[in-house]
Amino acid sequence: MAANSTPKTFDERVAFLKEKAKEVRFQIVDMIHAAQSGHPGGSLSAADIVTALYFDIMKVDPKKPRDPDRDRFVLSKGHACPVWYANLALRGFFPMGELKTLRRFESMLQGHPVSTKTPGVDATTGSLGIGFGQAVGMALEGKMLKKNYKVYAVLGDGELQEGIVWEAAGSANKFGLDNLVAVVDNNGLQNDGFSKDIMPMEPIDKKFEAFGWTVKRIQGHKMEEVLAALDQAKAHRGKPFCIVANTVKGRGVSFMENVRGWHGKPPSDEEYAKATAEIREGLK
Amino acid sequence: MKKIELKKADSPTRKSFSERMLQRAARDKEFVVFESDIGYSTYSYLFGDKYPDRYFNMGIAEIGTMAAAAGMAADGRNVIVSGYGVFLTMRAVEVVRSFICYPKLNVKILSSHGGLTAAIDGVTHQASEDIAFMSTLPDMRVLVPCDKASAKAAFDIAMAAPGPVFTRLMRDPLWDIYPDDEEFVLGGSKVLTKGSHITIASYGDMVFQALEAAKLLEKKGIQAEVMDMYSVKPFDEKTLLRSIRKTGALLVVENHQRRNGLGYALGTFCLKNNPVPFDNLGLDDTFGESGDYFKVIDKYGISARAIASAAAKLLKKKKA
Repeated sequence: MAANSTPKTFDERVAFLKEKAKEVRFQIVDMIHAAQSGHPGGSLSAADIVTALYFDIMKVDPKKPRDPDRDRFVLSKGHACPVWYANLALRGFFPMGELKTLRRFESMLQGHPVSTKTPGVDATTGSLGIGFGQAVGMALEGKMLKKNYKVYAVLGDGELQEGIVWEAAGSANKFGLDNLVAVVDNNGLQNDGFSKDIMPMEPIDKKFEAFGWTVKRIQGHKMEEVLAALDQAKAHRGKPFCIVANTVKGRGVSFMENVRGWHGKPPSDEEYAKATAEIREGLK
Repeated sequence: MKKIELKKADSPTRKSFSERMLQRAARDKEFVVFESDIGYSTYSYLFGDKYPDRYFNMGIAEIGTMAAAAGMAADGRNVIVSGYGVFLTMRAVEVVRSFICYPKLNVKILSSHGGLTAAIDGVTHQASEDIAFMSTLPDMRVLVPCDKASAKAAFDIAMAAPGPVFTRLMRDPLWDIYPDDEEFVLGGSKVLTKGSHITIASYGDMVFQALEAAKLLEKKGIQAEVMDMYSVKPFDEKTLLRSIRKTGALLVVENHQRRNGLGYALGTFCLKNNPVPFDNLGLDDTFGESGDYFKVIDKYGISARAIASAAAKLLKKKKA
């Protein structure tokens, strides 16, 4: 359930999440600036999706990060961990002050997510595709134990190039894992350039459909669409559910948007000031 | 004895290797390069931009990339595969083993982010077992240059040697010690400081820590012979044997697991040929972590300080 306990209308939930996503974006840029290292582009593109999961959709309890009945979250595109760390800190899994230790010596916030170091991190990731494979295993475990939890995995569109993604997609179909939800953060960019040039994977929705998944394509920065799709995925039964969220890499910071160079580069002081000012104004 | 001067490097070995690749491409028109979407990190894009017809960016798909490279090398072509060590040497290890080493194909692996040199990215990006995986494979040769001149030379050695060659490279620039025209050969080594009390053998970034350790030891009156074993497999048995016969003690230092790295290879060699007091430093059955390179190597016991202390301890085992 949502962090705030009062039941809300759909519109109220959307309004609440839009504000939260601003805070998440601010923390992403703030921690990467402090670390002077990290991946802002893919963190910002996933911000609305991950915020909706942590502040509305998923059943998680910061006081019981290992609760066996909790919903699981796997950031399979592990390099975007600032978006995960920001959500976990804002939800109270660890103190906000930790965010500024990102990537530092002896920090709980490693360069890529590590389950044994960070409260709330359900899976170690950072090698693309393998998080998704782990998510399949978590969903199998849920089925075997007859638990009601769902497993939410966020993947990048470049990540779909890894063969293991399709091995995992096939097994989710075989085992009828309707407790598994994949969200593809389809920002269209990867380290070396536009995904369509490096290794085209579209039509992504048709690929997942062919693998036996129920698929919905949305605009991943319209919180109304994000929340509606996640509501549908949460209630869905019978098949694994895939949301293809069309997003913009670097979304929320104009000069980072859709620019290859912002995959793995920290902002300078000047860029930081500009970025945070824009985030405070909110998405247009 | 020439004095070793450490000059702050302006480019990392991954870049120097790729620069040499670009340089060589004009006259050697045969070789091709496979990349899996980190060309802007390995600097293979320098070649790709100039020779798009000889550059295959396969996307984020290391196993498929390695297999395609094997296919393209099947009739003898030199094929370079560029990427990060963890993914090339571990994720794709079976392809390297059975379909590149076994048929002895001319696949040359450019492998960045070796050891804890990619410290800030964390364990998933730190190839701290790459030497073990690669040097275990029959017919694979393993090179680890430490600076610009040796990285460029490593490219030339890899291209000239028939069969598979693995070259470990670093993410960040450290120091330069060799002049541009220094000669390097497969199976060679460099004796960087002459010493009579202990041999310290290392490779890659650890060469600089070993040199620093030798300075610390000198203050205690200990003369360390520092060797750069840039050719990890095959290694320079002759020079090593000559050195340990003289010094009577061997310390191997590597930015890698202690198990199954150069330390194990040289330790076995010593046992068989010329037993001397021996120790090896490296990750002691543990993973690394994110953080500043110098803090991290110090914590895991492979900084100059730790090397000097291990060397002094080892000397006590030597019979007077």
